[in-house]
Amino acid sequence: MNHYDCKFYLATDVFKGICKRDKNLILADDVACEHFEKAQKCKYCLNFKLTADELGTCMNKYDAYPEMNAVSCHDFQN
Amino acid sequence: MIKNPDILQCATDVYNYYGTKPAGEIQPRETKKNPTKRVEQLRQRYFETKSSASVEFPYWYTRRWEELEGEIPIIRRAEALKAGFSHLTPAILPGELLAMRKANYLRGSYPMPWLSEAFFLAKEDELYKEAQKSGKNSADEVTTMGQGGGNVTKSVGNVISIAGKFGFRKEEMPVLLKTAKKWFNKSVDDIGHKYEQLVPGYQTKEEIMRAVICMFDSGYTLPQGREVMNYYYPLQFGIEGIKSICVEKQNQSAGYPGMDRLYFYKAVHTMLEGLQKWILNYAGEARFMALLEAGKIQKEEYIDIAERLEWLSENKPRSFYDALQLIWIFHVAVLNEDAISGLSPGRLGQVLYPFWKHDMEKGIINRESSLELLESMRMKFTELDCFASMGVVGGVLSGNTFNNLCIGGLDKEGNSAANELEMLILESAITCDTPQPTLSLLFDEKLPEDFLMKGIECTKIGTGYPAWVNNRVAIEFLLNNFKKEGMALEEARAWAIGGCLETSPGSWMPLEFNGQTYFIPGGSAPATSVGVHFISLPKVLEAVLFDGLDKRTGRRVYPTHGSKLDSYEEIWAVFKKYFSLTVEVLTLTNNIQHDIWGKVSPSIINSMLKPDCLEVGKDISHKGCRYNRTFNVEICGGVNLVNSLASIKKNIYDENHFTLQELKAAIDANFGYHSALETGSYSLIEQVKSDRFMDWIKIHKRCLDAPKYGNDDSFVDEIFKEWQLWFSKMCENYLSLYNEPLYSCQISVSTHAPMGAVTLASPDGRLCGTTFADGSVSAYPGTDKNGPYALFNSATCYDHSLSQNSQLNMKIHPSVVHGREGSRKFLEMIKAYLRKGAFHAQFNVVDSRMLKDAQKNPENYRGLMVRVAGFTQYWVELGKQIQDEVIARTEYEQIG
Repeated sequence: MNHYDCKFYLATDVFKGICKRDKNLILADDVACEHFEKAQKCKYCLNFKLTADELGTCMNKYDAYPEMNAVSCHDFQN
Repeated sequence: MIKNPDILQCATDVYNYYGTKPAGEIQPRETKKNPTKRVEQLRQRYFETKSSASVEFPYWYTRRWEELEGEIPIIRRAEALKAGFSHLTPAILPGELLAMRKANYLRGSYPMPWLSEAFFLAKEDELYKEAQKSGKNSADEVTTMGQGGGNVTKSVGNVISIAGKFGFRKEEMPVLLKTAKKWFNKSVDDIGHKYEQLVPGYQTKEEIMRAVICMFDSGYTLPQGREVMNYYYPLQFGIEGIKSICVEKQNQSAGYPGMDRLYFYKAVHTMLEGLQKWILNYAGEARFMALLEAGKIQKEEYIDIAERLEWLSENKPRSFYDALQLIWIFHVAVLNEDAISGLSPGRLGQVLYPFWKHDMEKGIINRESSLELLESMRMKFTELDCFASMGVVGGVLSGNTFNNLCIGGLDKEGNSAANELEMLILESAITCDTPQPTLSLLFDEKLPEDFLMKGIECTKIGTGYPAWVNNRVAIEFLLNNFKKEGMALEEARAWAIGGCLETSPGSWMPLEFNGQTYFIPGGSAPATSVGVHFISLPKVLEAVLFDGLDKRTGRRVYPTHGSKLDSYEEIWAVFKKYFSLTVEVLTLTNNIQHDIWGKVSPSIINSMLKPDCLEVGKDISHKGCRYNRTFNVEICGGVNLVNSLASIKKNIYDENHFTLQELKAAIDANFGYHSALETGSYSLIEQVKSDRFMDWIKIHKRCLDAPKYGNDDSFVDEIFKEWQLWFSKMCENYLSLYNEPLYSCQISVSTHAPMGAVTLASPDGRLCGTTFADGSVSAYPGTDKNGPYALFNSATCYDHSLSQNSQLNMKIHPSVVHGREGSRKFLEMIKAYLRKGAFHAQFNVVDSRMLKDAQKNPENYRGLMVRVAGFTQYWVELGKQIQDEVIARTEYEQIG
């Protein structure tokens, strides 16, 4: 798992961000630390089904993609 | 190839000077102040951040849009916007005092395929290929890009570069392309294109666009912007208050004739629900951040942000801090509605003054805390990016978003409107010198001297702002154009600059706060600078000389004119004919595009804010605004046109130095030089001769020596005046979508670079591919040789109130305006120009050698800013075409 998938990752741009816990600058694609917790993303949601590389469906009817943040989605379930 | 031309006057030095050449070391700019530690940290973080785009908003927008097939368009649009806002990932950085942004990234933005999906479909294969590339490269590679500042100029690792500016996560590309495809034949671009082809003469429009005689269509690229925000309704009523108005108006309109009102109010209500969810998501994030935070002060700040957002999600502001936060929320909300550049906050210091005064009197805030908030606001505006096509973002905007904040001017009663908060706004622009918001000082003789001197202090440090704008000229223009819609002098005083330099109508709205009523100014018209966007005048002249052909591509643009061009008058007549044809066909096609925009993707958020849309229940595209005569004709390269006409008149027809055929042959041969596209140098300095240089040297010398605009020379100034009078009058022959005559607009933004790049050498001696003169009354670099007052006389040889604007850029060496005496001299010079009836002037106070050094060593100049046309931009984020032009501008070593 990398920072990009972590609940505490706060992206500042597409390359990097800061850790919400310690405020250190981190790279999105670097390996996460021991405090890693899964971010609320579609790929961790019960409503999501992967159908192709980087593509899937939501609730069997909408297009979706695994890496999308679902922190503001009221249908998110895990 | 032979370098360093030694015969051409314009090319004898690496720089163009008026006065004594500066000696010794590069002269730094005067006094440099700093923002608070907190804001400086935010600024450093901004410097380290890349422009980043995401698919989140368009994904949710499209998903909801598809669900509502068959729904009334404005309701469907409101629901789609609500879905987009409701699902945006909130992000708050430590140290931020103002929360909320366009997208989850700091410099975040996103494509809007409902406007245009063509770029993504055209690029599909290429983008897919990039997305398939595997391999993770170190982010160090990105930071070594150096030139480009925050621009992601190439794809690297899991990031794809879009349009050489925006970084996009590889894993989001498949869904972006899938989302874009859903808009095929449904976007404003596609539907507009379908119907614009019904315009007779449409093929000419196609050829005009292909030849880059016109820069871009506005209907689907930047349908809104170049206008002034109006924050009255949220400040006066709060979001729940506006929702209540909507419900009341809904009840009054349901079932009655004019049913569109019902749908409009319902749409506004729905959209506001989306904004409320968005605000509350941010409040929730602030509380989450507070939970994780160990530091007491930062924890309290997060909680404070959360409480403020929770309050503002329903209520009107209680304080200056609340009001500033609410203004920011609505500013971003409008920016998320459409691709927009030039959304100006307008006279923000006057809008916020009642709150600020109250809080100062009560001791809730002090000067320092106010200043820090204003600095924070500057950082928020600076973070804004606009995702539009490459031609628009790079070629027109230079990556800028043109949020123009105006200070000064007059109040409703005609007294000076300058206030203490505006002094602090100026101070914050000095301490936190960032490109946004840019400032415009609405100069009036009634403004106090200390206020004007504060403006000079800001200009002197090299920010490029405030631009100095003539209040009286603007009011004349407004009364000339908006009287028919009921504008009186009192209301004309509420104007402000929209975008970089577009005079925009405003109105006074009665804000009640703390038991008192304040009349606050705000925009009350839709986008200006929509319509005919940037006609390249030298390129039209080129077509005249070559019988309607675009010589670069060999394609026919205009019908053959069949004239032998035996006289100057014939050339002028054919020029007017071709120019008129251009305006005609572009007006008609743009009207269709904007009509389609209003039908399939109408503005809801901005409409709600603009008087009197909420009162009458009509959105902007149905003339809901108080003033609607806002379509214009924009031009570029006017000074090169005029200099070229002067050269033709003098050299060919008056003095017979050579024939028109010989001139055309010389132009074809680029006067014996290699083109700028070959040399990579885009001004007349540092050009490279070809082996055939001597064949054309005499003609070129005559062209360069012909009278040039900017020297108080009546020969050329009369031509300039004739052009101006004809241009401003001819625009009125064409009607906008709103059935109102067009008016003239004269700003170049950055178009003088790409338009110059596709234009052959011109009869004024300018070489092929080099950048045109900037603005509208700036001299061509190096040709203003008689000092500033001669330039002013040339610039004011016509009535500036005939046009929406004029634009003058000057470059001044820092030593010239040094110290108190220099400031006084500087102010007197500006006053002298404006008193002559000029509309606008702005300044780069900089040593040209510093710019040259910055071009060579960009890594040493991340924070260096320059004024381009109506905007200030970081040097490292400008293209070389514009950089070369700014370096080449005449540097004034004396202004007395």
